[in-house]
Amino acid sequence: MKPILEIQSVSKKFNIHHEGGSYLSLRDRLTELAKFKSSKKSDEDFWALKDVSFDVMPGESIGIIGKNGAGKSTLLKILSKITPPTHGKIICRGRIASLLEVGTGFHPELTGRENVYLNGSILGMKKKEIDARFDEIVDFAGTERFLDTPLKHYSSGMQLRLAFAVAAFLEPEILVIDEVLAVGDAEFQKKCLGKMEDVSKSGRTILFVSHNMAAVESLCKKTLLLENGKPRLFGLSS
Amino acid sequence: MSLKKESNNYYFEIKPKLAFSLNLKELIEYKELFYFFTWRDVKVKYKQTALGFLWAILQPLVMMAIFTFFIGKSLKVPSDTIEYPIFAFSGLILWTVFSSGITNAGNSMVSNAQIIKKIYFPRLVIPISSILVSVFDFLIAFFVFIVLLIFYQQPVDVLSAFMFWPTSLIVAVIATFGPGCLLAALNVKYRDFRYVIPFLVQALLFLTPVIYPISIVSNSWLKYLLAVNPMYAAITIFRLPMMNSSPDTTLLWISLLSGVLLFFIGLTYFRKTEMYFADLA
Repeated sequence: MKPILEIQSVSKKFNIHHEGGSYLSLRDRLTELAKFKSSKKSDEDFWALKDVSFDVMPGESIGIIGKNGAGKSTLLKILSKITPPTHGKIICRGRIASLLEVGTGFHPELTGRENVYLNGSILGMKKKEIDARFDEIVDFAGTERFLDTPLKHYSSGMQLRLAFAVAAFLEPEILVIDEVLAVGDAEFQKKCLGKMEDVSKSGRTILFVSHNMAAVESLCKKTLLLENGKPRLFGLSS
Repeated sequence: MSLKKESNNYYFEIKPKLAFSLNLKELIEYKELFYFFTWRDVKVKYKQTALGFLWAILQPLVMMAIFTFFIGKSLKVPSDTIEYPIFAFSGLILWTVFSSGITNAGNSMVSNAQIIKKIYFPRLVIPISSILVSVFDFLIAFFVFIVLLIFYQQPVDVLSAFMFWPTSLIVAVIATFGPGCLLAALNVKYRDFRYVIPFLVQALLFLTPVIYPISIVSNSWLKYLLAVNPMYAAITIFRLPMMNSSPDTTLLWISLLSGVLLFFIGLTYFRKTEMYFADLA
């Protein structure tokens, strides 16, 4: 069986632009200008990812962990086609749906109902699919009472629940999730993890970034550890 | 990214360089997103306003009144055998498609920066949706136009109206699309364009035969220059069913060609740079 995802030597470089250089007095600044010094020296290359390679078989759940700044979100962004890799290639044999942030596209002026349609459509669902699962979505979120009030009147917890509810009913072959459980109370986190386990059991592939080691261990068989953009370990979660 | 069907299975590759293609197939796949973004923008525009859609007609009406009084009556600018208010209003409502179209499109990528950074969809959806909002406003103003036609008893050749009115709208949209996409892409990297746009629109209003007919320009060299403006064709075609004289076809062709050229330039530049928007926005 061919891997559903083949990540081959993916690297990503960013250009860090240093504005103004190091601290200078006004006099130094003026003399610098007078001598027409170029500011090109203050651009720096930053490799967010360097040579990351691994394969994912269909139906696997892979955790991606690492310190802040290790490159996890960048890897997910490349997988989500938001930004291209500088080097390397990824072969995908399934549709990818990403959840890099809950409530992407939510607009505070629109009502809960309208935002469900908007968000669902942005995440890739067709209107017919949203119609079919609308009741389930609202049920999962538990915000039926406030469905027709503008989102700006919702509490942040309600917004999060609604956002995750829409995403929970996506049915892609590959689901990519980025630390979205960082917010939300314990009950909600349990609900979300439960839903992700259901998705995993139904044979879908999941890539899950988190700092919550317990969650990663319970959900994912294999884990990738990233450190400063380089893959360090790839193996069984325990 | 190449899209191949491999024995009924989905297959595509994510690579550093995007082979340039218009990728219409992808746009059609995401067609519902056009509807949702346009719908969202229209709804938000008129939310919590008492007058709602009426705003779409107030502006051209007031402008028409002002221009009719000062330019039509006081300065006695001729208007090609059409009643001046109709002349001005027809020019203004089409002009608004262009002016609000490129303004919205130009700022669209930056104002949707958050979404672009978090999820993938063909980026073209954003400027196109913002132009569609202007088209929506046009359709509302068009009803008022019909009312004005009746009120001023303007004779209209109905057959050519059916032919030319939709055509002029299409030409206007093409004319808006090119600069709109170009500005949208440029604005992401060089925020200067946010300030350039209102100034540009203001200047162009006077360089387009919106409130004056091109016939008052006597210098033919200047006429050709003015015809390079892609909106010239749209507005002239729109006025044809109400005019008795036939238009200068050379000027029309110049304008149409200019519009199509700008369309392709804008589209190409946008597609070439869209991969990096998320990094720059």
